[in-house]
Amino acid sequence: MRRVRRQVLLLLALTLSLSLVGLTGTATGQAVKNPDTFIQVSFGDWDTFDYAWAYDTSSHTVIFNVYEPLVAYDGGRVDRFVPRLATAVPSLQNGLVSADGKTYTFPIREGVKFHDGTPMTAEDAAYSLQRFLMIDRDGGPSSLLLEPILGITKTRDDKGNLTLKFDDLQRAVQVKGNSVVVTLKEPFGPFLSIMALWSNVVSKKWATANGDWNGTAATMAKYNNLKKESSAFFEKANGTGPFKLERWDRAGKQVILARNDGYWRKPARLARVVFRSIDEAATRVLMLKAGDADSIAISRREQPQVEDDPNIRFIDNLPWLRTDAFFFTVDIDTRGNPDVGSGRLDGAGVPANFFSDIRVRRGFAYAFDYATFLRDAFRNQGALPKGVIPPGMLGFNANQEYFIFNREKAIAELREAWGGQVWERGFRVTVLYNTGNVPREIGARILKDGVEALNPKFRVDVRGVTWASYLAAMNDGKLPVFWVGWIADYPDPHNFAFHFLHSDGTFPKAQRFKNDELDRLVVQAIKETNRDKRQALYFQINKKFFELAPSVSPVNQVVFRVQRSWVRGWYNNPVFPGTDYYTIFKG
Amino acid sequence: MTAFVLRRLLLLPLVALGVTLLIFGLLQMLSPQMRAALYVTDPRQLRAVDSVIRTHGLDKPFHIQYVGWLSRVVQGDLGWSETAKMPVAKAIATFFPATLELTMFAVVPIIVIGIWLGTLSAVHRDRIVDHFSRFFSISGTSMPTFVWGLLLLMVFYGTWQLFPPGRLSLEPNMYVLSQQFRPYTRLMTVDALLNGQLWIFVDALRHLALPVLTLSLVSCATLVRVTRSSMLETLRQDYVRTARAKGLESSIVVNKHARKNAMIPVVTLSALLFVGLLNGVAITETVYGYPGIGLWGVNAAIQLDAAAVAGFALFNALLLVVGNLAADVLYAVIDPRIRLR
Amino acid sequence: MTTNTATHGAVLEQPAHPRTLSSWQMAWRRLRRNPLSMLGLAIIVTFVLTALLAPVIAPPKEGARDPYMMPHEGYSPDPQPPRAGHPLGTTEQAFDIFYGLVWGARTAFRVGLVVVATAVTIGIIMGGISGYYGGRLDEILMRIVDIFLAFPGLILAVVVVAILGPGLEKVMIALALVSWPGYARLLRGEVLSVRERDFIEAARALGASDLKVIARHVLPNSIYPVLVVSTLDMGSIVVAAAALSFLGLGAPVGYSDWGQIISLSRGWILGGAGNALQFWYTVVFPGAALFLFTLGWNLLGDAFRDILDPRLRGST
Repeated sequence: MRRVRRQVLLLLALTLSLSLVGLTGTATGQAVKNPDTFIQVSFGDWDTFDYAWAYDTSSHTVIFNVYEPLVAYDGGRVDRFVPRLATAVPSLQNGLVSADGKTYTFPIREGVKFHDGTPMTAEDAAYSLQRFLMIDRDGGPSSLLLEPILGITKTRDDKGNLTLKFDDLQRAVQVKGNSVVVTLKEPFGPFLSIMALWSNVVSKKWATANGDWNGTAATMAKYNNLKKESSAFFEKANGTGPFKLERWDRAGKQVILARNDGYWRKPARLARVVFRSIDEAATRVLMLKAGDADSIAISRREQPQVEDDPNIRFIDNLPWLRTDAFFFTVDIDTRGNPDVGSGRLDGAGVPANFFSDIRVRRGFAYAFDYATFLRDAFRNQGALPKGVIPPGMLGFNANQEYFIFNREKAIAELREAWGGQVWERGFRVTVLYNTGNVPREIGARILKDGVEALNPKFRVDVRGVTWASYLAAMNDGKLPVFWVGWIADYPDPHNFAFHFLHSDGTFPKAQRFKNDELDRLVVQAIKETNRDKRQALYFQINKKFFELAPSVSPVNQVVFRVQRSWVRGWYNNPVFPGTDYYTIFKG
Repeated sequence: MTAFVLRRLLLLPLVALGVTLLIFGLLQMLSPQMRAALYVTDPRQLRAVDSVIRTHGLDKPFHIQYVGWLSRVVQGDLGWSETAKMPVAKAIATFFPATLELTMFAVVPIIVIGIWLGTLSAVHRDRIVDHFSRFFSISGTSMPTFVWGLLLLMVFYGTWQLFPPGRLSLEPNMYVLSQQFRPYTRLMTVDALLNGQLWIFVDALRHLALPVLTLSLVSCATLVRVTRSSMLETLRQDYVRTARAKGLESSIVVNKHARKNAMIPVVTLSALLFVGLLNGVAITETVYGYPGIGLWGVNAAIQLDAAAVAGFALFNALLLVVGNLAADVLYAVIDPRIRLR
Repeated sequence: MTTNTATHGAVLEQPAHPRTLSSWQMAWRRLRRNPLSMLGLAIIVTFVLTALLAPVIAPPKEGARDPYMMPHEGYSPDPQPPRAGHPLGTTEQAFDIFYGLVWGARTAFRVGLVVVATAVTIGIIMGGISGYYGGRLDEILMRIVDIFLAFPGLILAVVVVAILGPGLEKVMIALALVSWPGYARLLRGEVLSVRERDFIEAARALGASDLKVIARHVLPNSIYPVLVVSTLDMGSIVVAAAALSFLGLGAPVGYSDWGQIISLSRGWILGGAGNALQFWYTVVFPGAALFLFTLGWNLLGDAFRDILDPRLRGST
């Protein structure tokens, strides 16, 4: 019997200890852990480290610290440039931009060495740019520079055959002495903005030796739209930046950068930067609290768990060049579509062209409670929306009238819609979002509650779907109302105006939306070289965005950063894909 | 016996074919647009959907895709896993050892606790010890894995900083990735010892502690139940009664006589448990950021990474067939009454 | 997935056949004598009553369109502790936990019953045919079972849900799809041994059709282990559904489903700074519901097994 009692006691002790330990306090302040190493813990994986292939922020955060562009953004500024691998920023004043605004000359810096010790030359810079244009993988970033330089958005026809001419490439990007000369098809206002993010320089010799494109016409077709794993740059890197890519440890879901001691500027202060990927947010929070992470990626949900900790710095209200919106599909594919109810305006569904009536769209927009959305989805950080262009960018107009939550206006618009039939018969429609995105989920519910409160015959369903279903249905025009966002590729309003409002842009295509006047305005605005005139044009475009309401921006989002208090030297630039680790140190 | 083993092994290709046909069939029910989502991960790439479908041949008919895949598999090429960013075969080789290590460590406490509690329960049937051990084991299974995982992490890492998540801490990790360290087995604890690095061994153990504890909590209930009922059955059999009647001390009867016989189903269950654990660790791995094969498999399934899911399923089927076979053989070896046909 | 191992375990602990069939009354008497079994029964009955009386215990708001959607005031990102009007507190996005748990009882029974019933039905058909006819048919059906068993359960469920789209019905289909092979194999084994018995031979000799023999004689004599296992599975199915919710593939947010509610707690298991237990109610209440539900079915399942197992008979 004594044995039994002992075993019972053991059991009791086990359970009690498990349940009681949770009661004790949290960790207290520690000395700086791993002083030379910065550990960034996020979620999501890296795609490739090929600068011409990658289009996701995880990959580009790494690329950003390993490679360098010709010109770069000046610290936290998005509107000023400093020379990086070029020795001067081209401008009309210094004569490096031609009078017609089409030719840019980049004098290349001497004495810069790649990580393998070989010197960087103008030829490398030209090769890198040509390769960026030529790779053009499906859905990749090449079109960002193809558009200004060659005046095209893709290098293949609809059957997948290469249409890019090597001669065009050679003509557009040339080496002259120790300079690279780029000739644009048409003057393009934001050209330098794009170059400052996307003109990374790689070693031609290294690329050729590792089996990548050798820069000739003969092999171009072979490397156009190449598989990501076939690229020499997929998991290896030889850049000029302050950090070397030491290892992409895919087994451990981490990337390790080591300091480049032969850097042409003063070497970085951190000896190592480690990026780790941990899917569970709570685990990341605990790692930060324990000092095993120096900075983590979290959402607003986890904010209360980190913001009052003396060891942690929570930096809020950082500008973000991003616009989210809910979009209306004006010609819904109703075949076998579960999200349009009966598919007719009979009170139990919506017809395909339901949202082609501008009053329906505006009615929905006025029924959305913007202030509640800002408070509950973003903890009141950010601002009420002012249109399609985010603040801090040319064309943002703080005085632009925009939608507010207004029941009367919503009712007035919807009473008029479809000759009064909408109000009389009611409807049933679904608002969709991709699962896992909490702000969109909350937003969809706010829209549902707002619209349903107007009229008991109105019924709005909210449905979260996986990314795959979302993408496919968006592509097929099957989502009546859907929620997506756009993060700037470069800090210029064209990037937003085109993709939100031009009929060839990404979202209007999905919405089946086309407005001739908007198409004309967007094209006119990008060709305009006078800054004030451009601004006026974007004001006009933004006004149209409000009046026509093809999509509705519910908020001006800001972003926050969470890091240990011992992290120093960090600065923010909203266009960076990630942190500039060159300036960072711990202490 | 040999004939039996051979016959079962012959089933392997059949099961493998069936499993892959099933998974390909299921994935084929998705539109090419949906399958393109594996490559189009950002709304900025929306316009590329059609060209992605063309580039990857996603709109080809089912039989062409399947036969193409199958013929490559026969040649030893399982394809490319977009979620792992490496070939499927390499991904299995990379992620499996981590999970195997975790499972090997977890199986020990599960069996020990399971048998211990199960025996206690049976011996003290319907008394407080029985109730307690059953409550304990049932509470393990009745809470989702992630709840246990996060609770344990909060206590043992958040509060005490004893057992960190991941597979290794920073310094051991850097050492392991360096040239000095030779990965013989890719089981971190074993490699650490083979390299003579005790500190790495200790660090690896610290990282294994919580996932092992979580798996034990979640998985020991079945074993407790089986041991309990199996023990109850043997305790009631004639020879045990006789032994008791002869006045042998209770604990000797339990340990020497009853437990030995009651272990037969338990042992076979343990073999199955091992395989079951291998494909049930996904959520534990997610919570602890432990890069194993389960985590990869689930991510691949969520992102519809067809080649990865098919390769994973194939590998899993192989493990299961072999595991089941091992259980059967074990059964026959321990229990001479069983004849394998 | 937990259901798989549970089923495997059960295969090995299958009881022998009850020699007498009209034993329901006796079973009840034996059930009544064991306090633990009665506790299990009491728990299940309480949940049944909760489910049935949900509209009375937690009346939906006036004009609510779907009583299964938890009511919410606002969309507050943080959970709020128990208070007047919200006896068990609210989750993130301000859903009432009490309401969700009460109506979630209905969901739990629906998920458990539908999944188990579907899986058992398929299992009975496949296992029954396979065991009764034997031969090549048996061989083919058992290979199909092998294929399904060789498939990693969670992965299959995730793929199925990914194809059909998230939602509770889809989760049920996925879970039934991964649970049936265990039952089929279990039943086949039983049928195999029953098939050879005299009274089956007798029925066949009397010219009864196969269907009649199976339905009247074979199944009633072989179904008990399946019933025992299915009771044990009732609880674990609900936990397995929670795992899919964790992966974002379960019921929509705000739906009264315990798995969904407990998934909402994942971000709140860590407390705020300096107060580790700040959000205890987000885990404790739904956790308790899940625990009691599983416990109830487990106790009941154990009791059933004891009752149906003649080797243990008369030993209470």
